[in-house]
Amino acid sequence: MSSNPAAEIQITIDGRPISVPAGTTIFDAARVNGIAIPTLCHQQNENPVGVCRVCVVDIGQRVYAASCIRQVEPGMTVKTSTGPVQAARRTLVELLMSDHPAPCARQQQSGDCELERLADDAGIQEPRFPRRITPRGKDDSSTVIAVDHEACILCDRCVRGCDDIRNNWVLARRGKGYQAGIAFDNNLPMGESSCVSCGECMVSCPTGALTNKRVVGTQLGQGDVLDPAELLHLPIFENVSGTFLELNQKAVVKRHFKPGEIVCREGEFGSTAFYILEGKAEVFLSSPIAHVKTEGGSKGFFSKLQSLLAPREGDRRSEESDRPFIPIDASVDLPYDNPIAELNPGDMFGEMTCMSYYPRSATVRARTDCVMLEMLRNVLDILQRNKTFRAQLERNYRTRALDSHLRSVPVFKSLTQDFIDRLRDRVELLRFNPGQVICRQGDPADSFYLVRIGFVKVSEQRPGGELVLAYLARGGYFGEIALLSGIPRSATCTALDHVEVVRISGEDFQLMLDRFPEVRQKLEAIAQERIEENLRHTVQAQNVPVDQFLAQGLMEAQSLLVLDLDKCTRCDLCVRACADAHEGVSRLVREGLRFDKYLVATSCRQCRDPLCMVGCPVGSIRRRNTLEVIIEDWCIGCGLCATNCPYGNINLHPFPAELDDPAHPGHKIAGVQVKATSCDLCHDHAEPSCVYACPHDAAHRVNPPEFFAGLLAQPAPSKGRG
Amino acid sequence: MLIDCTHRKWFLGSVAGLAVAAAVYISYSLHSPQGARPGSAMGLAYGIAGFLFMLFAGLLGARKKVPVWRVGRAQSWMRGHLWLGFLSFPLILFHGGFHFGGALTRMLMWLFVFVWVSGILGAALQHFMPRFQTAQLPMETIYEQIDRVRGQLAEEADQLVDETCSALEGEVSRASERQRAMSASAGTQGGLTVASGLQANQQVSTQLRQFLDDEMHPYLERAGAHAMSLGQGAQAQKMFQQFRVLLPPELHSNLDDLENICEEKRQLDKQSRLHLILHGWLLVHIPLSYALLLLGAVHAVVALKF
Repeated sequence: MSSNPAAEIQITIDGRPISVPAGTTIFDAARVNGIAIPTLCHQQNENPVGVCRVCVVDIGQRVYAASCIRQVEPGMTVKTSTGPVQAARRTLVELLMSDHPAPCARQQQSGDCELERLADDAGIQEPRFPRRITPRGKDDSSTVIAVDHEACILCDRCVRGCDDIRNNWVLARRGKGYQAGIAFDNNLPMGESSCVSCGECMVSCPTGALTNKRVVGTQLGQGDVLDPAELLHLPIFENVSGTFLELNQKAVVKRHFKPGEIVCREGEFGSTAFYILEGKAEVFLSSPIAHVKTEGGSKGFFSKLQSLLAPREGDRRSEESDRPFIPIDASVDLPYDNPIAELNPGDMFGEMTCMSYYPRSATVRARTDCVMLEMLRNVLDILQRNKTFRAQLERNYRTRALDSHLRSVPVFKSLTQDFIDRLRDRVELLRFNPGQVICRQGDPADSFYLVRIGFVKVSEQRPGGELVLAYLARGGYFGEIALLSGIPRSATCTALDHVEVVRISGEDFQLMLDRFPEVRQKLEAIAQERIEENLRHTVQAQNVPVDQFLAQGLMEAQSLLVLDLDKCTRCDLCVRACADAHEGVSRLVREGLRFDKYLVATSCRQCRDPLCMVGCPVGSIRRRNTLEVIIEDWCIGCGLCATNCPYGNINLHPFPAELDDPAHPGHKIAGVQVKATSCDLCHDHAEPSCVYACPHDAAHRVNPPEFFAGLLAQPAPSKGRG
Repeated sequence: MLIDCTHRKWFLGSVAGLAVAAAVYISYSLHSPQGARPGSAMGLAYGIAGFLFMLFAGLLGARKKVPVWRVGRAQSWMRGHLWLGFLSFPLILFHGGFHFGGALTRMLMWLFVFVWVSGILGAALQHFMPRFQTAQLPMETIYEQIDRVRGQLAEEADQLVDETCSALEGEVSRASERQRAMSASAGTQGGLTVASGLQANQQVSTQLRQFLDDEMHPYLERAGAHAMSLGQGAQAQKMFQQFRVLLPPELHSNLDDLENICEEKRQLDKQSRLHLILHGWLLVHIPLSYALLLLGAVHAVVALKF
């Protein structure tokens, strides 16, 4: 029987005669006539699916009908709250509650868990049914949304919100029986999925399965709090759920800056990112672009050594980086010669500070009247996942930063403009969350990666465990070994924090190699060096399986300052020599762990796993191919490397310098600039001063595996008698 | 400095030098009609060589003042100091023909004897003591920081005692609640048992605090204090053993930490003593060396001029 959609149908609900258009569901017919039918899986803006069955009504048939999907029929008599109907609903709610972790997160946060409210209304205290024994777990990988699969009632409201309303097609069902649940993409953790954090799923969820993560302990100091309506008017918040913005209302503010006003300073710790709405700002490094140089000893016979700041033009060190650009936490890089650049409306800066709490990498000052959005991590995460914003960010990157980013890597300096233009539209920007694997050892190689934001750990899986080969910061690259030699990936690359990489396809990479033989040559040389270095690591790791040696991190060291305690008279001449060699500030402390009769002094170990390099906001600490640590000219003295060094071997050293006057832009004032220093092995001399000055032949700079080889080969002394 | 096989060249050189000097001296003294005389050409040669060796040995002090100067490895200077300083004494004896001479030269010779003997003693100390120190002091720290470390140990002891006493007193307050509950419901017998345990805990806590104030603090705050009970390992062990009996097993780890603190203090005291021994001889050796060099120079000028 076909029905005319325009035709009115007469039905009776709970004894009330009602007329509704054909095609209306019983649920809607009741709702528009003020008769409430409880439901869980249905909400007005979504297509009904009738999975929870809580909205069942008696229509005089053999079974109760789910009112959300059952359409009215002429003459239908509906009873919504008879005793048997209520008993059926109660059983359903009781069954759902038996698996529900009451009170769930939503109930705790806002007291509006729909299931728990229904249970309350039905007077259900403790369900009669046994609880599920197999846990479904939680997913804490997203920055903004907490997922508790235990609280999920499989109503599919989130799935419909994601797919039907937002058309993101990220959410779906997974598993069967007790293991059934919601899944992001191919059952990935939410933070690693293609979820754009629009928040629709969260606002759709009736329980605490998907809840908003509140930002705790961080407050935005100044600025106008914007209401969701105002935010939604901004193009960058297009497609973000209004409810979600409401929940995160205080996490984003609008700030006004006058010309010359400082927005943020390099080296400061912060937790926010900025997005420029109006006006222009300049981003620059006010720290002198110079490294710490120790000189004097080699020039005059009796002259004392002095530490001073020297730029690379005046003092080129071996393997000094010749990068023309300094990487910073913004959409642009700064030229080495004149580290200043302009930021325009639509530019964002401070992403790494906001996402990973690194110190600010540069100073930003308003050039004109500026209006900026300052935001916390949860809002930035929403934006970074927002398709509109991502598109804009990528556009900015391709047009403004790809050039300097590629050219800042020495091997790519010779790329021609037309090739970069070709790459501009072909490279892909990919984001990875902390711990996420970018490429895995043994996988086929199809791309080359350039790090844009964050830090990447390169490691190799060995029979004895994981061996860290390198940490790559912005400007670092990986994937070339496999592409050059046509072998599978030789190492696993993992995001250490929030990482963004530029992916160049294997095809474009090959084209680049064909067109630019010098690039191929350089890349091959670097790949060869890396392979040899990895091999050395592996051999050393296999040769020295001694627990204590490993426990003290000595295996990780490439060069140790050891004091033979059988010879050392504790005269401290080594420390005095170090202090004399470095302007009175010693870079070694005659204290540390003991290994056999040797004291491992507190002095840079040139670690193979140099944790000091993780997090440098301007990527100024790196190592030479010899693995010796080198601190580049653009160190801003934030001290993160010193904090990260597990052995306390990096110091901050103050130097008199001419600094920008914050009160008078463009003017310089005398001040003190702090620069990170670590043992430089007194590289102007044939031998480190500490070793040279030891009168007792007790101080030695050694390669641990070689130096301790004899000791490690000895059998352990037997304990006790017999 | 450890005098080991790496000194072989210096040793052989010195022995050869000494043998040559002795041979020449014997020949010269036998063939010289008036015997060996300081004013003779050969006597002067011995005197100049001996004084130059002394000067070189004395320059080690200056070398140490400028550790970064690239004027030869400090280790070579030290070896030169040891062996040439050692050799200078027989040379000076050859210079004087084994006579101490007049007042000035007699004084010089006695000074030299003291300097030479103190030097040999110092070399012996530096040979043996570092090994002894390494073996005896596993918790060794930087000598200049001993006072600071002592302060830290005292603070740590305060914290541990506070923690232990709070745990004991917490037990007391929890027990009080139990006691009240038990008295209300089960009569007085259980209440009495708890009350006696309560009193014991309270007493132990008081005793521990008293021990901290009367024994540990004075011991940790004073350098040395060997005469105090905690300064003696065996006595300290007994004292802690008494507390170990009184305290519940779960608090024994705190007691172990307190005992370790005392052990560390004993080691710090020992380190101070050993450090003084290892470096104390320099208080004799260095001033006498300077005096020797000065008077030696005066002697040279006077002898050559007059």
